[in-house]
Parts: sequence; structure tokens; C-alpha cells
Amino acid sequence: MFDLSADYWSLIGQGVLITLWLTLVSWVVALLMGILLGVLRQAPVGILRAVAAGYTEFFRNIPLLTVLFFIYFGVPNTGIRINAINSAIIGLSLYTAAYVGEVVRAGLGTVSKGNIEASRSLGLSFLQSMRYVQMPQAVRAAIPPLGTLLIALLKNTSLASQVTVADLFFQADFVGNRTFNPDILLIAGAIYVALTLPLGATVNLAEKRWAIQR
Amino acid sequence: MAATGVSTNQSVALKRTLNFGLQLLGALLIIVLVPIAFGMQWRNFEPLLDGITLRFLLFGVVATVVVSLVAIILSLPLATGLALGRLSPIAAVRWPSIAIVEVVRSLPLLLVIFYVNLRFPLIDKLENLKLGNPDSFFGIELDRLLSRGALAVAIALTVYTAAVNAELLRSGINSLDRGQTEAARSLGLTYWQTMRLVILPQAFQRILAPLIAQFTILVKDTSLGSIIGFVELQRRAVILYQRDFNPMEALFVVALIYFAVNYLLGLTSKLVERKRPSVHVTVPEF
Repeated sequence: MFDLSADYWSLIGQGVLITLWLTLVSWVVALLMGILLGVLRQAPVGILRAVAAGYTEFFRNIPLLTVLFFIYFGVPNTGIRINAINSAIIGLSLYTAAYVGEVVRAGLGTVSKGNIEASRSLGLSFLQSMRYVQMPQAVRAAIPPLGTLLIALLKNTSLASQVTVADLFFQADFVGNRTFNPDILLIAGAIYVALTLPLGATVNLAEKRWAIQR
Repeated sequence: MAATGVSTNQSVALKRTLNFGLQLLGALLIIVLVPIAFGMQWRNFEPLLDGITLRFLLFGVVATVVVSLVAIILSLPLATGLALGRLSPIAAVRWPSIAIVEVVRSLPLLLVIFYVNLRFPLIDKLENLKLGNPDSFFGIELDRLLSRGALAVAIALTVYTAAVNAELLRSGINSLDRGQTEAARSLGLTYWQTMRLVILPQAFQRILAPLIAQFTILVKDTSLGSIIGFVELQRRAVILYQRDFNPMEALFVVALIYFAVNYLLGLTSKLVERKRPSVHVTVPEF
């Protein structure tokens, strides 16, 4: 059923690498943006809170595919040129950041009010209190939901194939079309499962390792 | 005591209103800032605003919502089966249920949609199905709703959502007090009677709010149907910008439509949540 030539296997291998690269880079960017958004949601300035909340609401309520199309097919009309893989990374990061922001906000919500008040009355500034008191607690509380987001991001990278990024799904679809065998998609499916299930297990381990003992 | 109780309620309500206002203000700000930031031009919005185009878009919303609704309704019996299977004491039932739920949830939806579109039994028989009158607007729209792409998306989303909802329902069932089952069983109800009359009705009540939230995810996910030829909202944006050469504006308008639909659904979910507090959900809403 799957006696593919070595060339096809190497294409699928390249696809896996691209998928992992997309996931990794988008995740790092989304994490940084998400933490910023989460902190802005608590900011002492109303307009910053509003922008962060609006960003989150907006991106959580529109499809990722629309975002990717907007960046890949729309933005070049302004004269800015972005290649396919970078536009996919930008789209995935912008989209995932909204979810990360929500998770970070929820994590910050678990920090007790007394802790914040104590740190502020000890003379720490808003940012210092964030950095030394609230964030360390929030990040630990946020590990499990962040793990599910990472897994979702890995699956979502398959949408990059629709803006001509040659990721795993793109290559599987390509090979399937070339060999008239749609079942090649099952290989890709197996690879996605093989990537996400260990990731889930790792997240569970991390949760056990760093969970706050209450 | 009574006085403080009232004032706390008022302050909670005030805080809620403030938060809501802040969110809405922020969203409006983003909606105003994006066109300015990307230098969108009014003349590119104009072709989207004539009656026929707006009707075209409106029926895109209808197609999107109808397919999402079909998928979530069809997924519920499947999800119930999988959730009960996963909680079953019989290993031969439990392990396959776990495997199905975990594998389906770790596949990309796009892959499921493509595979269903290419390999689902008898799906290629739908290619020439033309029921609607091709001369009338509604006939064309009807055919779009009954197209192969629409069916493939509906099937794929049903399977996918069933796996997610199974986890949701499982957490709903687990959140019920064990005493419920024990009392029902000691009253002489069989396992199925206990489930049907006691456990499932309560579990479904508890997951109602997250289920509506799941519906917004479905509305977003139907956009993947645009790739396999289901003419829903996202596909219509592509059709329109290929006609008018205004990809940014067309996609932005469609994004706003998605936003409006999903925002309203989100508000509904929050209202339901307030009426009947639901279980703490560990299922990713993504």
C-alpha cells in the first residue's frame, strides 16, 4: 500500500522538518507576544487593557485560515513582501498569541491578591511585582493549558500548506496526488499522531515536575 | 450582612459590565486600527457593499452556520457513545474508545477533511447531484449546501467534534457526585436507565456552556471547507477578491463577519454559563 520511492519519502521527511520549524518559531513568538498580552490585561492603564482584550477577542473569533490568507495574499498589496514561510509564521504567531495571552491571564488570576498587595507595599513596581512575584507563579499554573496550545499549534501548522508552505501536510498531499493514492495522507496522519502524543506526555511530566504544591 | 451581600453583588455586576465594555472597546479599536495600519482604501470596500454581493456573503454565513449546526448535532450521539465507552468498566470497550478519541484529537482537522473528501464511501456519488433549480438564486445556494465539499466537511467535523465533545461529556459525567449513580442503582435502575434518566441529563446541563463555545470553534473550522470546494464564507471572500482584486479588504470584511457571529455565540455561552455554572473544562478550546 505504501511502497513509495525514496524520493517521495525524502519529500515527506522535508515536510516534517518544515512542520517542526514552523511550530518551534511560531511557538516562541506566540509565547513572547502572549505573555505581553497577558501582562497588558492587568496593566494599570485602561487603554492598554482595552487593546489587549480587543486583540484577544478579535483573534479568538476569526478562523486561522482567514488570518493566513490575509497575510499571504492581502498584505503584499501594501508593498510589503513576505515569503510564504514567514507569512505562515506571522499568521500562526498572531493567532496563537491571543490564546496564550488568555492562558497567561488565567494564570495571573491564580496568584492570590495578598501576594500582589504585599509585593507592591514592599515597594516593588508594577513590572517588578510581575517579574518576581506574579509571573513565576502564573507560568507554573499555565503549564497544562500551554501544553494543549502547543499541540494545537502543531496541528494548526498544517494550514500553512494552503499558503504554499511545503510542510508535512503539503508534501503528503503532493505525494498522494502524484501516486494517485490518497492513503498517503494516513502516513502524514500517523506522523502527526507520533509527534503530538509524546508532546502531550511531556507536558504531563512537566506539569508534575513544576506544579505548585498546595 | 445583608447590606454587604448586596454591595458585593453590585460591585461584581459593575466589574462585569466594565470588563465587557473594555473588551468591546478594545475590539472596536482593533477593528478601526487594522484598516488604517494596512492602508486599506474605501474604494476597495465599495464593490463589497452592493446588494447582490451582500446577499452572497449572507448566504455564506448561512452555509457556515448550517454545516456547523449539523456537525455539532450529529456529533452528540457519537460523543455520548465514546464518553460512556471511555468510562466503561469493560476493557474491550474502554481501550478502543480511548484510542479513537486520542488519535482523532491529535490529527490535524485539515487532514481529516481531505481524507474524508477523498475516501469516504460513496462520497463521489454526490458530484452530479443537482436538486436545486440552477436558474434561481436559492436553487444555486441549495446545491452549494448539498455539494460534495459541504458533505465532506460535515462528516469530518462530526467525527472530529465527537472526539472533543466526548472528552467534554466525560468531564461533565465525572463532575457529578458518585452518590447519584449509587442512589440510582440502589433504586433498582439498570446501568442504561441510570445513564439515560439520571446521569446524562445532568451531565449535558453542565456542559451546555462549553458546548456552545465549541460551536464557535466549529464555525471557525468550517473555513477549512473552502479548500475542498465548499462555498462557505471564507471561500466567498476568495471569490470576491478574485473578482475585485481587493484581497485585504474582502478578507477583512469576512473576518469581521466571523467575528460578529462568534462574538454573539460567545456572549450566549457566557449567559448560559451564568444561569447554570458548568464544569471546569479541561478540553482545549482552540
